[in-house]
Amino acid sequence: MIFRSPALPARICDYCQATVKRIADGVELAGEVAVLPFDVSPIQIGTRGEYGGKPFDVIGRIRLGYDQGAWNDWLCLFSDMTHGWLSESDGQFQMVIERPIAETNSDLIQHLAQGGDAAIGDRTIIDGSEFTVSDMRSAKCIAAEGELPFAPSTGWDVFNVDMRDEQGFSANFEREEGEDSGFYVGRYVTLAELKPHNLRAIHGWKMPDYAA
Amino acid sequence: MPPEPPPEDDRPNPWGNAAETQTAGPTAKRTVVPSESDSAPAAEQFNCPNCGGSIEIKAAGLSVSIACEYCGSTLDVTNPDVSIIQRYEGEVRKLELPLGSRGMLRGTEWEVIGYQRRSENGRYPWDEYLLFNPYAGYRFLDTDGRGWSFGEQLTASPDKQSLVGFTLNGEFFQPFYAQTRAQVDYVLGEFYWRVAVGEEVLTADFVRPGKMLSWEHSGNETVWSLSELLEPNEITDAFGIPPAKGGGLPLPHQPSPHRKKAGQFMKLALAVAFALIVITSLFGGTSDPQTAQINLSTNGVEQSAKVGPIILDRARQAVTVSARAPGIENSWIDLTYSLTNRDTGEVFEANNVVDAYSGRDAEGNWSEGSRYSSSKFSMIPSGTYELNVYAAGSRWTEGQYGSSSNAQLEVTIEKGATFYSNLFLALLFVFVPAIWQWWKHLSFESRRRSDSDFTGDDDD
Repeated sequence: MIFRSPALPARICDYCQATVKRIADGVELAGEVAVLPFDVSPIQIGTRGEYGGKPFDVIGRIRLGYDQGAWNDWLCLFSDMTHGWLSESDGQFQMVIERPIAETNSDLIQHLAQGGDAAIGDRTIIDGSEFTVSDMRSAKCIAAEGELPFAPSTGWDVFNVDMRDEQGFSANFEREEGEDSGFYVGRYVTLAELKPHNLRAIHGWKMPDYAA
Repeated sequence: MPPEPPPEDDRPNPWGNAAETQTAGPTAKRTVVPSESDSAPAAEQFNCPNCGGSIEIKAAGLSVSIACEYCGSTLDVTNPDVSIIQRYEGEVRKLELPLGSRGMLRGTEWEVIGYQRRSENGRYPWDEYLLFNPYAGYRFLDTDGRGWSFGEQLTASPDKQSLVGFTLNGEFFQPFYAQTRAQVDYVLGEFYWRVAVGEEVLTADFVRPGKMLSWEHSGNETVWSLSELLEPNEITDAFGIPPAKGGGLPLPHQPSPHRKKAGQFMKLALAVAFALIVITSLFGGTSDPQTAQINLSTNGVEQSAKVGPIILDRARQAVTVSARAPGIENSWIDLTYSLTNRDTGEVFEANNVVDAYSGRDAEGNWSEGSRYSSSKFSMIPSGTYELNVYAAGSRWTEGQYGSSSNAQLEVTIEKGATFYSNLFLALLFVFVPAIWQWWKHLSFESRRRSDSDFTGDDDD
């Protein structure tokens, strides 16, 4: 088993779905996740692209579901060994990068991080721009693959809040069982602007020219 | 209004927790349709738990609900086991664009995967098709029979402008339809949200030529989408169906078919007008002036003078005779010109007047008349001519003939002329088609706007 990113502690075995966690002197088994249900995502482990002038490789994915549907969060490892999440929902993509919660001035994010609640339509200022809570939901981890910054397990509960501004920038807040809250900022992207390579070939569909 | 949540026992649990999600009633297992190439599979298949019909899920992983294309029942596909949300046994509608149709639109291939019939409480119905491409996501294809629009859900919200409208990417959209309720009357195929007949959303629409910006709000979710009106041939080229029949009022975002022509005609008219003015001033104009001074009294007695001879060498030409009496006051001078060909004796005559009046009444000082006048002879044959001028001055003050005074009259004959009246007629002629086109354009725009909830707004 190969870890692509020296910083990421977890990897799901491609063969047996076991989650392996790195510890000081090696690795340990950290449970098992369900097999990914079939989907027609154009992204796959090994898809490469470019965001903010930095090349990235897709090295992991976590699939989350709730009563209104499901979405994919693809883990992208940038050339400088930082990582971002390419979130794929309703056929639209957003690239978000984690920010330390302590560094944000947003009252709403601080409130959420302390276990507080939010409502759709709530507004908050992030990076000088006004964001509105556009959606929020409790979801569960359905499945995962590849390398991840945490060791996921099926059925794991995630409380997720989506925020967006008027220019197409987006922010997410995530609160998970037994993990620190996560705060992510980024923007909506088109697949084409990521200059992707090695997209998943899907039977009967022509690979777009920008990815050929 | 927020859609009614499904009853507690019907509510599907999140995926991956299949053991707990068993609901009452039949369910169906789904299987991946094997790929016939090295590529990944493109669809899943299952048999409708209500009618047994074979259904393919084209947007696997994204689709949330499916209305069976054979029996119309609404199915939940968020779980590994497909379950029935609502049974339906009625006849399934035949769609103008059948589910599974594929077509190239604006450079991308799209598959028709869903259909909704929507209306405002049964009125103003329209068809909305959901298109899918795994690399490009979703698009919408709308028609109400007058034309097809190709739409996309936006990821950024448009900016509200003080002019009541919205701007998106620097383009201003005027309000067209005010907030109203739209409902779903019928569904078929697969969707990435929970579809339900009878579900209502609030909508409002904003337009600019060729484009419509739509706002939809339900519960606490707001969705903006932008659609572009397709050319009639685009839908035919993409899906092989005849273009929309049209008829009735123009579509809210239909560009005026006369606007371009009106602009072109107006540009052409302005160019021709400019050319005419240049030509008139180049080829108009006068030369070889000869002047005679006449001293006369404003006593009604006719004086005469001769000016010339003037030699006209072109076969036909214009001659201008002008008169100037700078000193006259409350007087007029009747002028008769007679231009005589010395060789043939042919005579051309014209009459004119110079006059000047002034006074004072309740509204203050007034003055009228002109101390200068000019007469134009056109098409005078070549030859040597002399001009006889007959001038009779009169004076009028306080409503009666006044005592006579002396007046100086200066008469000038020149070759050539500038026919401003001809120019005016030519300009009128040139501008008529342009004005006609603008009128057609404006009447189209007024018909287009007549359906708007904001007809009072005439700003462009």
